[in-house]
Amino acid sequence: MAALLELENVHAGYGPTSVLHGVSLSVPEGGVVSLLGANGAGKTTTLRAITGGVRWSGDIRFAGHSLRRMSTEDIVRRGIAHVPEGRGICTELTVDENLRLGSHLRRDGAEVQKDYGRVFDYFPVLKERRRLSASTLSGGEQQMLALARALLMRPRLMLLDEPSLGLAPIVVRSIFEIIHSINQTSQVAVLLVEQNARIALDMSSTAYVLEVGRVAVQGAGSELQGNESVRRSYLGY
Amino acid sequence: MQEFLQLVVSGIATGGIFASLALALVLIYNAMGLVNFAQGEMAMLATFVAYSLINRGMSFWIAFPVTLVLAFGGGVVIQRLVIRPVERAPVLALVIITLGLATLVNGLAGFIWGYVPRSFASPFSPDSVDLAGVFVSYRDLGVIAVSGLVLLAVYLLLQRTTVGLTLRAAAHHPEASRLLGVQVSWMLALGWGLASAVGAVSGMMAAPILLLEPNMMQAIIIYAFAAAVLGGIESPLGAVVGGLIVGVTVNLAGAYLPGVGGDLQLAVGLAIIIAVLILKPNGLFGRAAIRRV
Amino acid sequence: MSRIRTAPPRYWLVLLVVIFFLGFPTVISSFLASEWAQAIILAIAIMGLNILVGYSGQLSLGHGAFMALGAYTSAILVHHYKMDYLVTIPIAAVLTGLVGFLFGVPALRLSPLYLALATFALAVVSPSLIKRPAGLTGGVQGILVLQPDPPDVAREAFAFVTGTAMTSDQWIYYITLFCALVLFWLAWNLARHRPGRAMRAIRDGEVAAAASGINVAGFKTLAFGISAFYAGTAGSLLALSTGFISPDTFPVSLSIQLLVGAVVGGLASIPGPLLGAIFAYFLPIESNQWVPSQTWLPEQITSTVKNAGPAVSYGIILILIMMFAPNGIVGLIRTGYVTVNRRLRGASDPQTGQIPPDTQTV
Repeated sequence: MAALLELENVHAGYGPTSVLHGVSLSVPEGGVVSLLGANGAGKTTTLRAITGGVRWSGDIRFAGHSLRRMSTEDIVRRGIAHVPEGRGICTELTVDENLRLGSHLRRDGAEVQKDYGRVFDYFPVLKERRRLSASTLSGGEQQMLALARALLMRPRLMLLDEPSLGLAPIVVRSIFEIIHSINQTSQVAVLLVEQNARIALDMSSTAYVLEVGRVAVQGAGSELQGNESVRRSYLGY
Repeated sequence: MQEFLQLVVSGIATGGIFASLALALVLIYNAMGLVNFAQGEMAMLATFVAYSLINRGMSFWIAFPVTLVLAFGGGVVIQRLVIRPVERAPVLALVIITLGLATLVNGLAGFIWGYVPRSFASPFSPDSVDLAGVFVSYRDLGVIAVSGLVLLAVYLLLQRTTVGLTLRAAAHHPEASRLLGVQVSWMLALGWGLASAVGAVSGMMAAPILLLEPNMMQAIIIYAFAAAVLGGIESPLGAVVGGLIVGVTVNLAGAYLPGVGGDLQLAVGLAIIIAVLILKPNGLFGRAAIRRV
Repeated sequence: MSRIRTAPPRYWLVLLVVIFFLGFPTVISSFLASEWAQAIILAIAIMGLNILVGYSGQLSLGHGAFMALGAYTSAILVHHYKMDYLVTIPIAAVLTGLVGFLFGVPALRLSPLYLALATFALAVVSPSLIKRPAGLTGGVQGILVLQPDPPDVAREAFAFVTGTAMTSDQWIYYITLFCALVLFWLAWNLARHRPGRAMRAIRDGEVAAAASGINVAGFKTLAFGISAFYAGTAGSLLALSTGFISPDTFPVSLSIQLLVGAVVGGLASIPGPLLGAIFAYFLPIESNQWVPSQTWLPEQITSTVKNAGPAVSYGIILILIMMFAPNGIVGLIRTGYVTVNRRLRGASDPQTGQIPPDTQTV
């Protein structure tokens, strides 16, 4: 069975600088895959390549369809939700308006209402602060908003770039619990970029470790966790 | 006192004209960080189109919405043809392009309709009505009503509809919006169309008062700049409030300040711009922008 | 002696141009000389605008107003105070420069966009402002400026070369040419040395420039002052050259014409303003005469161009240049020169055989 997302020998870069030197990975339908590695290894660039934010060569296929030459908007409309580094919250808009941006493309009104219910179950604080400007949210709350917004798109695949960045450990834990729950109940595949390798590996079926733009190690999450030398050299613990 | 109130009312009417054009400027500024120097000329062109339609026998109230639609289309076309190819250019280059556009549109209007001023009949009756002792002309009331309705419609569109939401999102957060499936480029085109339509309202309200000729909007755009700057260039509400204040101030200045009359009222507009930029550069409703280094 | 031999070809080109302009009036009619004088005047004003926009990155749409100030200063001094015209030129220039410098101070607080807006408003309003002190400025009716006769020295030299009598117009041509040469040479030096580098650093990144220790405020106001100085000179010369000024001589379209000339010629370059001035001045004249006379063009095109007038052409060209050639004519020439050079000399990377990408400009 073909994977939901497939990257084959992807090279990408910014202008004359090349960042990815032949990255290949795949995300199965409904699976959770981690993309790990140090700063500058190319993890964010990989996600940006998928949603068309950076030029790439090689092949990237989503649900069997190549994403070459597609605009970001069109790629996203095919069912990929990308929560970028920094979360991409529209601070000029209210919480509710941000959420509505997540659901604005959908035509299935009743299902949208159900998803709103689900989202507010996961993140009650968002329901409380619906009418407030998104700029008033704390870091953790903004991460929740970004996730909620992505959920409302009912994507088939979520790209999450460093969801733990800048958040207190207890908040990180609850967010990851929610991500796990989302994946289990809604069968949304997740490609997770994280520096916090431990928590990422806990929930991933597969993991890839990037080093200087190449896949250095790959394997099942439990495998990498169990391998002490891999942990020391690549994951920092 | 009577005279004062009458001046205030007619000041509010001209303020409505300024506010409409100022709102157009603010819409484009919000979308692109750019002041469209061609806004006035685009409004003038739309007004000439309305003039031609009326000359062919269309009633004003049919020509009005038709012109709005045409102006909308014109704005979209201009964005697609001229602005989009240079979207990523530095702001100064874009300003120069809008100046080129202004020159082009002005010349085009002069070419098609010539420079002889024409009279444009007001759709409202020339009578006045007695409101609590103040004689207010129907024309002023009409302008206030039309401007008010248009501004309200724009407000509702932006704040209460999904299209308005995606427009605002695309304007303020283009990158994040793309990741949410918003077709940012088309939203910008829509923004230009909307601005063009709103500007056209300003032109059609102004034409009965001034005479219709290619240079008609040059004074009004100065007042619109003053209104936008006064209200805060990013704030649609500010454009409206600013427009009203400028309208009333200019009217009163023209009547009560010695020597200020006719074309020197424009200097009042200039003075307002300079005063605001020196004293409170963000205007009444603008926010101090933090410059990212 | 060796310096002359190794001087880059550019210097020879400059010398050629100077000689060309010096000799020009001897072979053209007096009327044409006065036209070219006006083009040169425009070039001076555009050079001033270029210093402001191209080198220091501040956009002014009101330079027509500075020209008006220079023009009226000279005209008033001559008309009311009976001064010798030539003496009034530097006075007008310095006065306008000072006003420009003072203008530059509040301008510091304005973002480039607001500055453009404020100067645009100034340009629109200035004809009205000129009309008011009618006693001084002659109001709507303007001021007549008597054009001086050429001094004997010049007359004899001219007669020696051409055998004809020198007209006022030709004498005025030489005055403007002299001023232009001085001012262009000044601008060239400015650009080459510290002030020019400082301004360009400011233009390309104010915060970085300030962090490098450049006195940003000082240089920006200086740029305004110098730029106004040039515009004032041009205005003063304009009054002399046309013999008559009124508020209608300085509409907002003049300020736009200056900007068009600056951009089309090429911002942040020395030859740019001259090329831009020639373009800006002669385009309206030529499009009215040259195009209709081209019998091979279809009737519709010639009559459209003739009637649509310079405004449409200006507008279209301005837009096209900003879209495709933002560095103006000079930029096109430079890129063309670089490309041709590369092809001839083979500038590809020896290892990969790839031609390196073009450096970003503007």
